[in-house]
Amino acid sequence: MAPVLVLTMGTPSALAAQHDLVADLDLYELPQTELKQARGLLVGPHVDQVFLSQYETKLDRFVHGGGRLVVCAQVALPFATGLTRFIPLTYRSVCDLTVHRLAAHPVWRGVAPEDLTFRRGVAGFYGRGFYPDPPRCAQVVHGLGPRRLPLDLVYPLGDGEVLLHGGNDLWGYADDDTTAARMTPQLLAWVLSEPPEKA
Amino acid sequence: MKRRIGMLHGGASYHVNTLTDPTVLEHDITSLYLPGLVDNSTRSQLADLEALLICDRLHPGLLREHAGALLGVADRGGTIVVLGEVEAHTWLSDVDFSPRPTNFWWWLTGESPGIRRHNADHSIWHYVGPEDVVWHYHGILLPARDVTPLVSTDDGGLVLYEDRSSTAGRLLVSTMDPVHHHGSNFMPAATRFLYGLLRWLAADPE
Repeated sequence: MAPVLVLTMGTPSALAAQHDLVADLDLYELPQTELKQARGLLVGPHVDQVFLSQYETKLDRFVHGGGRLVVCAQVALPFATGLTRFIPLTYRSVCDLTVHRLAAHPVWRGVAPEDLTFRRGVAGFYGRGFYPDPPRCAQVVHGLGPRRLPLDLVYPLGDGEVLLHGGNDLWGYADDDTTAARMTPQLLAWVLSEPPEKA
Repeated sequence: MKRRIGMLHGGASYHVNTLTDPTVLEHDITSLYLPGLVDNSTRSQLADLEALLICDRLHPGLLREHAGALLGVADRGGTIVVLGEVEAHTWLSDVDFSPRPTNFWWWLTGESPGIRRHNADHSIWHYVGPEDVVWHYHGILLPARDVTPLVSTDDGGLVLYEDRSSTAGRLLVSTMDPVHHHGSNFMPAATRFLYGLLRWLAADPE
């Protein structure tokens, strides 16, 4: 089994096609799949959350055992400990949609916040809402707009970690001609790295 | 009496958000969960429907599995709307598909999006504005049978058409994904398109 699994919805992912360490796993095969061998599980915006929310115990167990769960989606039905419903933002200007870096994290190393705020000059692709109530131990990496509303956060859960982005898959920027393209290889490197030692 | 309209969804956040939108719920929608169609009780709800909107971005494998039951709504004389990114060409008869890159940017560069409206007297255009279908599409449909083109591209494919010949009812088929964009808090034109489709289904004009 590849160490990184992407949950798919009936169509193959470009990420698995391009990276040997990544394989697709159809969401509906998750119940029969043993996750012990996997280091990371990637959940994108198109995944069936009605189904996934029935497997919270399995996902929690995976992260507690040292796995990394990456969730790039507007969560409507939480499916792991620490996830909450995404709140859409009523936005009026670029100011509301500006991405602010609040903490350094290896996944976004060298990624300019302007390359997240704007894609070809248009604001809003990266994030249009927020997670209002991050777990207390969460590191909020990016905040949106003047109130720095939590958009990207990382938190420990047992021996593993959860990375939550309130937008589309970070690996969907792989072919951008900006620093945003760095997120894909850096995300995979982070997923495959050893979890931090506990304090 | 209100028409009995169903919406088939796949549990993605934008499906869930759309099915809790008060403007959508005004139509007394019956919500049907695609993986739930394995249960007889869920599948039997299809028999009561006069119209069915099959949301965009559903699992194509599950759609192929349940296509016969779903198309039954149209076989009984009802109307089905099929939206984009569902590999419709693999479970509808007599239609091919060719993917196209998504052009999010035509309005920035001033280039023409290459989208053309047809049959301006068709009832859909009483509910959907011409600009509501001009955003992007994910590919083109090439039907082999006689259909009514409603939106086409410059390269000769269809982005929206009506088929009144393959079933006893009618199919309205598109390659656009308005539920995804509406339920993701993005793109007002997609919201208008979706709301217009639902009003059209509710009115059921000739």
